[in-house]
Amino acid sequence: MSSYLCGLDIGGTFTDCVLIDESGRLTIAKAPSTPPNFAAGVMTAIERAAVKIGLEVHDLLDAITVLAHGTTVGTNAIIQRRGAKVGLITTRGHNDVIHIMRGSRGLSGQDIKMIVHIPESSKPDPLVPKKLIRGVSERVDCFGKVVVELNEDEVRQAIIELRDAGCEALAICCLWSFLEPAHELRIKAIAAELAPDLYLTCSAELAPKWGEYERTTAVALNAYIGPTTVGYVTRLDQQLKEMGYKPPLQITQCAGGTITVRKAQQAPLLTLDSGPVSGVTGSVYLGQLMQHPNVITTDLGGTSFDVGVIHNGAPVVSYKSLVNQYEYFLPKVDVQTLGTGGGSKVWIDKTTKALRVGPDSAGASPGPVCYGNGGTVPTTTDADLVLGYLDPDNFAGGTMQLDRDAAVAALQLLADELEMDLFELASGVATIAEFQMADLIRKVTVQKGLDPRDFVVFAFGGAGPVHMGVAARELDVSKVIVPQGDTAAVWCAFGAASADILHVNEKVSIMSSPFDVGRVNGLLAELGELGRAHLAEDGVAADRHQFQFSIDMRHRGQINEVEVFLERGELDAEGLEGLRARFVERYEQLYGHGAALHGARLEMVTFRCRASATSMKPQLVAADSLSDVVAGDAQSGQRDIYWAESKRVETTPIYNGYKLVAGNAVDGPCVVETTTTSMVVHPGQRIEVDRLGNFVIDPAVA
Amino acid sequence: MPRISELTEVDFNGVENPYVPPRELRISDKLKLHRNWSEDVDPVTYEVVRHNLWQINEEHGATIQRLSGSPVAMYALDLNPSILTEDAEFVYFGPYMQYMSGVTDTQVKWTLEFRSDNPGINEGDMFIANDPWVGAAHQQDVMLLCPVFWKGELFCWVTNCLHQYDIGGITPGSFCPSAESVYEEGILLPPLKIIENYEVRRDIEAVYLRASRKPDLVALDFRAQIAGNTTARERVLELIKRYGPEVVKGVMKRVVDNSEKAYLEKMSRLPDGEWYDRTYIEACRPGDRRTHRVVLGLRKEGNKLTFFNDGSAAQEGAMNATYSGWRGSIMVAANQLLCWDQYFAPGGALRHIDFDPTPGTLNCADFPASVSTAPIQSMEISLYPAYNVISKMIYPDQEMRRDIMCIGGTSQWPATIFRGIDQWGERYGYLLVDPIGGAIGAFSVADGINTGGQSRTPICQLPNIEHTEQSFPLLFLYRKELADSGGAGEYRGGLSAESCFIPHNTETVTQDTLSSGNAVPTSSGMMGGYPSATNAYTFVRNSDVFERLKSSTMPEDASEVKGDTVVLQLREENFEQHPSDVYAVRWTGGGGFGDPFERSVEDIEQDLDDYAVTAAAARDIYGAVVSNDGRVDALATAEKRGKIRRDRVNGGAPQAREGEIAFSATSGLDMRKDGAGRYWACNKCAADLGPANENYKDYCLREDNAVSSSNPLIGEPGAFIDDKAEFRQFFCRGCGTLIDNEIAVSTDPILFDLRPA
Repeated sequence: MSSYLCGLDIGGTFTDCVLIDESGRLTIAKAPSTPPNFAAGVMTAIERAAVKIGLEVHDLLDAITVLAHGTTVGTNAIIQRRGAKVGLITTRGHNDVIHIMRGSRGLSGQDIKMIVHIPESSKPDPLVPKKLIRGVSERVDCFGKVVVELNEDEVRQAIIELRDAGCEALAICCLWSFLEPAHELRIKAIAAELAPDLYLTCSAELAPKWGEYERTTAVALNAYIGPTTVGYVTRLDQQLKEMGYKPPLQITQCAGGTITVRKAQQAPLLTLDSGPVSGVTGSVYLGQLMQHPNVITTDLGGTSFDVGVIHNGAPVVSYKSLVNQYEYFLPKVDVQTLGTGGGSKVWIDKTTKALRVGPDSAGASPGPVCYGNGGTVPTTTDADLVLGYLDPDNFAGGTMQLDRDAAVAALQLLADELEMDLFELASGVATIAEFQMADLIRKVTVQKGLDPRDFVVFAFGGAGPVHMGVAARELDVSKVIVPQGDTAAVWCAFGAASADILHVNEKVSIMSSPFDVGRVNGLLAELGELGRAHLAEDGVAADRHQFQFSIDMRHRGQINEVEVFLERGELDAEGLEGLRARFVERYEQLYGHGAALHGARLEMVTFRCRASATSMKPQLVAADSLSDVVAGDAQSGQRDIYWAESKRVETTPIYNGYKLVAGNAVDGPCVVETTTTSMVVHPGQRIEVDRLGNFVIDPAVA
Repeated sequence: MPRISELTEVDFNGVENPYVPPRELRISDKLKLHRNWSEDVDPVTYEVVRHNLWQINEEHGATIQRLSGSPVAMYALDLNPSILTEDAEFVYFGPYMQYMSGVTDTQVKWTLEFRSDNPGINEGDMFIANDPWVGAAHQQDVMLLCPVFWKGELFCWVTNCLHQYDIGGITPGSFCPSAESVYEEGILLPPLKIIENYEVRRDIEAVYLRASRKPDLVALDFRAQIAGNTTARERVLELIKRYGPEVVKGVMKRVVDNSEKAYLEKMSRLPDGEWYDRTYIEACRPGDRRTHRVVLGLRKEGNKLTFFNDGSAAQEGAMNATYSGWRGSIMVAANQLLCWDQYFAPGGALRHIDFDPTPGTLNCADFPASVSTAPIQSMEISLYPAYNVISKMIYPDQEMRRDIMCIGGTSQWPATIFRGIDQWGERYGYLLVDPIGGAIGAFSVADGINTGGQSRTPICQLPNIEHTEQSFPLLFLYRKELADSGGAGEYRGGLSAESCFIPHNTETVTQDTLSSGNAVPTSSGMMGGYPSATNAYTFVRNSDVFERLKSSTMPEDASEVKGDTVVLQLREENFEQHPSDVYAVRWTGGGGFGDPFERSVEDIEQDLDDYAVTAAAARDIYGAVVSNDGRVDALATAEKRGKIRRDRVNGGAPQAREGEIAFSATSGLDMRKDGAGRYWACNKCAADLGPANENYKDYCLREDNAVSSSNPLIGEPGAFIDDKAEFRQFFCRGCGTLIDNEIAVSTDPILFDLRPA
């Protein structure tokens, strides 16, 4: 019997189970999601998959070598504000760290309207109210030296008070604990003794990074989603075990890759935002298969536009994240989001008569006017429909009828107000939305020292392929790839199934040049050991262990840090010199030639080790041959579509995406439709099908 | 003393007198301006190009931040990029340090007028500038102005401004609290061509760097500024190539025109009149125990607004700002309250706003006054009253009323300037940036924001304590929000905070103070709201803090340690802080809005739960009846509030005069009219509070108390000033409701703040 990789993707409506056998063959099964007890839906989906391949559930579970799963329970708890009641213990005198929020409203990089119009932008509701925060006497200084011993009487009293106040979880964060964790660990031990039912988490274990605000936020968030996440993964793991699944269940995490159930219980924060991250992880693998080491992944849905970047085969990561205006430390694949999507509202600034798109969204409900669910404000989707990009009778595989008349009426009002032609206005809406997307992509590449022209774009999400061709042309990107068929389906589950087991361990030790090689090597060795131990706990054989070391460095006296990768986990004097050269190189790549201050003293701040074990990878079946003959029935019809390039409505061919085969190419203008999306190919563009069945749009045919 | 508009004989050219740009700029014929633009850019192209211009400015700011990497740029975000038209009207400025916006266009205009002939303004040039009489906030804010040329014509300007660590002067860091003139302060650079034909003029750069104690860092920042301008210039040129110069310029002009339209529409909804605010600066030099009056007036006549400062004290010591600093301050408030919907495009509104201060005053100082402290003193004290006068102007409009914001935290900056040898054996000097955590004042519809930052730098972030302790030899005992620090009101001002530290891993730290607003509250409330806490330095010499550390019982407040309490004066220099000397710095919070008796019982209970208000303040200021377990009795509270109001009137209530309401002037005061004319009336009981052209306060019941009665955290002013300060309250003579408060030095008359046309 074959062995299987299994990926589980739990959406708001459906739970997908994707099986990949050794030959790369796919089996997909769906079951309704069953909130709040998602495990039931997962089990149903696995059962259905088993039926499809003619196996008993028990036998299937027996044959699955890796079962990987991304959970959204933590994310949902935060969105719905239904997390645990959290108590926080911290250094006496510093109780207000997460209320002060570094004296900001957490709006850096956010919507400009919130920044300038202060009455609209309060701080978010506190994660832990002041009443549930206790400061205890203890202190460590910047050398990691204990200046004040831990007052255990105060600790005991604090724990008892918080326990008696009904806290379900306890977060612990003391100043400088990333240098000397003894006090935090002792508080945790006392809490385990006095309040064994509480979920416990301390910052030195979760996020041993420099900066108490972001560290405290991390640990408070971890506590907030802790009990719910633990309950969920424990239940799921238990049920899978009962049904015969033996290897450790893998949970996807936001750093890319997966973690074990045990780790997810300790650090549920790692599961936050793992959904969009899985998309990037899947794209890393797809990019590899298609030989595109540089990929911009885009996912345009109804309410948001997510962008991730893969450079030289590795996802671009960040070490600080933002949720509800709260900033926290956690290594994470960087996925930037713009609140623009098919649901972005179109409006006119009354006094200035300027046409605007977003940032407000009609969301999923009521949604665009053409959905007929009570939406009255036109959206980007309405404009797409009016232009002819979308087929009102064949939207989402024909599962939804769109009301074009309503969309026309809503947009006509705006067109009249601006004294514009209806089509001109609708096409303008699309253009504005496309340029906003291009701007975000530009931001995540150019501002990181990357040139978008060196990249291809992957377009996921229903609305993405409608608009990405123009955005890509704007950025001079060479190709937009719309993964299709097996690839796209795999992509969803790839995030889970193709992910490697990954443990990112970090240690902060701030040192200035000239560096002490012994100390540097000591830290690297310590991190390597930790990673080795984690992988061993996951049951990974030593010969599969992989380690990647890096150090965040900066000019002394400056703030900007740059991650410099090491060839191995040990440096000699020569390696140390090479490190300076690499720092300068990386710094200038990011900040421009001549930016580095040659001869200036350097500082090392964070030491990092990524310990990973490569998982079995699904294979994709490529077509044996390419055909440039487009089948006669591939063209499913024609439609009147307005093209901005010619500024007129043209009768345009529509293709059925499922009838186009590898090697087929069609020139724009045309639209290629599948059940999930419409690929809009503008005049001067071309679309073709590659060996894997993906659609590839050339945004500007030479 | 005459205003600028009255001094027709004086040449306001930025040398002896501040530069005041004329309506028509005098530009040399040698410089060709690009003056062709398309009037009919279609709405889509408009939006796309507009968005691009915004993005260019944002990328400009991000470039400086990334390249500079200095704590000033990264934490205080003490920088700002701008795009201006060829004739120096604002298209956009950035969301960083808002003060800098107001001083940008003046510098560009001056450069156009005085540099276009000699040495000439050409493609590939950039000008460095920091002269406050030309248009910098203070000398540390160094600007780099970059003309953008298209086919030999000046198309537009991209500029940036970045605060420098040190550019010379008698005090490290270049804030010079004891300077008596500009000659004791950092280098002064009237706009100077430092980049010529794309090349840095090394000789000029050397002169610039030579003045600094930190030339390496200034050099690095200079490179960041060049890169910012270069990035922005290149992107503007790309835009021109793509859409054509007429279209891009057309969009720029329309951004300005649109902001003008939006402004005019708002003005059309508001009654004309004059509004005033008055506040004080304490101590203009070491040893000074006087208060220095600051008055701000705003007059609205149709679309035109005029700001003036009649009655403000004379320039003196080291507390002053120049014309452009004062103007920049007011623009911050005007932009946030009147132009926020135009997202940092205030150029159109400026066409209708006149700035007409009186030269020789502390916030329109003549050369060679000391101005290095301007942004944390004279400009701050010029900025916040602008929120009050503009708020009073817009209150009559129900929609605009929602944009009202009371004076925010750190309305005067309690500076802690210190230096010495750090724990790594290196020399350092620093100004503690913690007060930037500020607080946002109350809104007319909601509470202010606790430690919500300073509205003048809306996205900056404090360093973590762990970052400060890494760089400087200090150990922070606490940084905490303070109950009652926000001004009381129907809507409470945001809470401010206090930082407390001892030297650590060093023998001593050399300290200077520089503050104001420690005696007379500067975050006054509005329309019945109360003031926030004052600034406060607490210094306990030879304390028992080591015993506390040793016994693992850490203090949570400076008042808990035993030792010799020293009253620090507001400009004390070169005093030593030793490791057992505990030093705490508190900054002002946000002012409150509306009568505290109108605050709901639920909100007061929440305040008690959140440690935002103490039970004592809830009882004494909010009139709440609070039980021992922190619950508020709604019925008893209503009764208590009613009795207090009735007691104020003491039986003799005049009849209501039921005229028609013309407009609501404040939350407690209406303008009414009947056959006999227009008159002020209580919003609650319609009691007649005097004719429209008189001060309604003269018709109110008045009660004067010590300023300490206005907030539990306000102490005795006598420690710092010789003047007596009063908290004056004005109640309706009909129903005893609080109409407004004012804070005044006792010799000053009642402020006549509402003067409808």
